[in-house]
Amino acid sequence: MKLLAKTNRIYLAFSLAIYLFAGLAFYQVVRILIYNEVETRLKVEKRDFEAYLKQHKAWSDTTYFVENKIDVVPVGRQTRLSETFIDTLIQNRYDQELMPFRQLTFYVPIKGVMHRVSIRKSLIQSYQLIEVITVTMAACLGLLLLGTFWFQGKLSGRLWLPFYESLSRIKRFNLASATPLQLDKPEINEFRELNEVLRKMGDKMQQDYRSLKEFTENASHEIQTPLALINAKVEQLIQSEKLTETQTRWIEEIYQASRRMARLNQGLLLLAKIDNQQFTDNQAVDLAALLAEKLGAMDEVLHHKRIAVKIGNLVPFAIQLPPALADSLVTNLVNNAIKHNHAEGRVELRSDGKNLSLGNTGHALVSNPERLFERFKKEGSGPDSVGLGLAIIKEICDTYGLEVQYDENNGWHRFGISRKVNEE
Amino acid sequence: MKVLVVEDEKGLAESITDYMNKEGYLCETAGTFREADERIYLYQYDCVIVDLTLPDGDGFQLIQTLKKLLATTGVIIISARNALEDKIRGLEIGSDDYLTKPFHLSELNARVKSLIRRRNFGGHTEIRFREIRVNPSSRKVYVNGQLAVLSRKEYDLLLYFLSNIDVVLTKVSIAEHLWGDNIDSADSLDMVYSHIKNLRRKLLEKGGSDYVSSVYGIGYKFGEP
Repeated sequence: MKLLAKTNRIYLAFSLAIYLFAGLAFYQVVRILIYNEVETRLKVEKRDFEAYLKQHKAWSDTTYFVENKIDVVPVGRQTRLSETFIDTLIQNRYDQELMPFRQLTFYVPIKGVMHRVSIRKSLIQSYQLIEVITVTMAACLGLLLLGTFWFQGKLSGRLWLPFYESLSRIKRFNLASATPLQLDKPEINEFRELNEVLRKMGDKMQQDYRSLKEFTENASHEIQTPLALINAKVEQLIQSEKLTETQTRWIEEIYQASRRMARLNQGLLLLAKIDNQQFTDNQAVDLAALLAEKLGAMDEVLHHKRIAVKIGNLVPFAIQLPPALADSLVTNLVNNAIKHNHAEGRVELRSDGKNLSLGNTGHALVSNPERLFERFKKEGSGPDSVGLGLAIIKEICDTYGLEVQYDENNGWHRFGISRKVNEE
Repeated sequence: MKVLVVEDEKGLAESITDYMNKEGYLCETAGTFREADERIYLYQYDCVIVDLTLPDGDGFQLIQTLKKLLATTGVIIISARNALEDKIRGLEIGSDDYLTKPFHLSELNARVKSLIRRRNFGGHTEIRFREIRVNPSSRKVYVNGQLAVLSRKEYDLLLYFLSNIDVVLTKVSIAEHLWGDNIDSADSLDMVYSHIKNLRRKLLEKGGSDYVSSVYGIGYKFGEP
């Protein structure tokens, strides 16, 4: 839920509660005031009545011509002497309508007989008054409510604007890019501080990210030189004629290990460079033709392993790719197809312009196909494999808008490359 | 033949020098940019092996100076950077070859030899070893005066051997010399074996001696039996 929607909702609920409470309280207050007024007048009339009785010693209805104003009834016994106020409804003389009245009942002896006297006052006008007041009030309060609601929305929207602006910029912020996180300096202190902190964090993150990448690259570079030294020394060592067979075997192992490390290192370095987007010289290359060419160049190995190559319908598969990476991509694909093939196996290359696929026969996969493209995932543990080939393929594809898929079917392992469907 | 090795890693410079000295070159080393700069002003070299990243300077700059002073000097770059741009830039300013670390000394040696051959004789010189005669310009091999028909790889292999006589060459270095870095080693080692077998057979057929000997399974050596 959005912050503004949330505050609006709370605000609305709260205002409605206040509004209802205020409305009821107001209604009650007005009612009490009107009753007080009516009752005071009724008491005044009672005094008038008593004064009249004192003067005339008798009561005649004619004095009061207004209907239902007064009711004097003799009561036999003296029941209650207290005076009471009650609400009552009395039928209108003309249209049989029930009208609300306030009635004061008291007892008075007239000529020695106890009478119950009821004086009434119509409440119809008072009720109308209450209605009018209530409606007006409701309207005013409603308008006020709507007004503040609208104002509040506008104000919050404006107040929170720098926040949303910062948020959208952070969303667009790319850690790997060279551009730092750019945030405004809003006049509200809290937001300014927030932006300040965010900018510092962004800068720090970028710096760390960069140094981490540089570290990978520098470390790889630095490793190459000692490796070259090991290689050189081993090469010199094997020239010695006094070596025993065991010693030679040890040296051989040292040598193999250093070669492997060199390959590993080169692979990691390549991955780091692709990650860092250090290859920028994109050119149009036809991957299908490159693959066919590479298969041709590997003719000797293919022949040696007695692998038959079948190149199917080859529609050009043109993409934008730096030539060095295109070469790395096809080399790794072809190497993979040869390495994981069995003797007298087959390799098949196909392209329909949209999908490029290189398939090879081979033993069933031992590891999880989902994790095949991860770094250092190896099928088997051949000493000559460093487990970066497929990771490099994936990295290149991911970086240059391609999609690589693997599927296994009937002893065929197929790597398919297609253009990524633009997600936007 | 004078060779200058510009390399800040002492051990590596030493190995290269040793190897080159054994091959009969007069080899000197420079560990820093300044030292190298000084030397190229003072002496003339047939070939300079330059590391691109020196502690106090850039190898490229050194090559540029060198080319201004004496354009006929051969230049081989050895670098830890395997970047295409570096290779292209190196070639543009006049270097002849580019080797990425780690490299094989035998490979470096072969390249130096081929470079000097090209520089000094325009490639029009024959390589002789006993009864074997190789004509690099026509890529023809004669044994006892008879033409031995070799495949391209066999020819490359023979030339590699001839550049490194009496030196144990590892199988991996041979494989990489023949097929480049990207070759899958497990298969390539078998292929090296079969190429060597064929080369031996072809040389023997023409009445040559068997100069190739296997060294404990680590590699091969070409030289006097």
